[in-house]
Amino acid sequence: MKRAATLPARVLWNAFFWTYERATWQYDVMVVAILAFVWLTPPDWLKDPMASGPGLLGWLRSLTQ
Amino acid sequence: MTLTGFIGRIFFLPLRLIISVCVALRIHPNILTFVGVLINLAAAWQLALGHFISGGVIMVVANIFDFIDGKVAVELNAVSAFGGFWDSVIDRFSDIALFLGLIYLYSSKGRTDYVMIASIAMMFAIMTSYTRARAESLITKCKVGFMERPERIVLFMIGAFTNRMAAVLWVIGVLSVFTVADRIIYTYLELRDRGEHAVV
Repeated sequence: MKRAATLPARVLWNAFFWTYERATWQYDVMVVAILAFVWLTPPDWLKDPMASGPGLLGWLRSLTQ
Repeated sequence: MTLTGFIGRIFFLPLRLIISVCVALRIHPNILTFVGVLINLAAAWQLALGHFISGGVIMVVANIFDFIDGKVAVELNAVSAFGGFWDSVIDRFSDIALFLGLIYLYSSKGRTDYVMIASIAMMFAIMTSYTRARAESLITKCKVGFMERPERIVLFMIGAFTNRMAAVLWVIGVLSVFTVADRIIYTYLELRDRGEHAVV
């Protein structure tokens, strides 16, 4: 139980206190997370001055409806 | 092989050809560095006008020069202390130019919120370099933190080509804050382990 509670904390700490090199699997995971945020977040949520609309996330949601 | 390692290898193939051409023409690496910043200024101007696609294309060209200068220096046997210093200084000008382009753009649109976000991202991007340079005058190496210059540049390009610059600025801003914090913490721990006490 104690291990389960500390694992997310350790993951968060390692993501914050970044010591991994490029071209490691940890780096890949971070890159995918960043790209997901950049491309999936609707520009309207961020009040983007140069883009508007629901973005990729809205498009994916419209596909499922 | 990792995903980013594979992508890096693919992009390195055409760069290898450009490096060979520069070496054959014996172009001095310091000149390549300077040409890079001039092209980056043009990219910044395009960003300032809101022309993200052309800005992105120019950024790609500028950063080819940025990337190859060190490699050309090695192959021409022209590696020097001044070259490293010159490269670092010119890189800061390139960084600041791109941010200024975006600050001008958001300012002309009356978007004070994004002027502030871009300004804070710029401040921490510069501090990322400064903290490492200052730390490495005290300890051997301080290469911690995710958001370094190559990551910033690639993110700028992604933001420009896909018109997601706002999201990119958020990512650069937040991760640059973390990177600066990482470097301060890391330097503190290294100095503490050496038994040196912080003197204010």
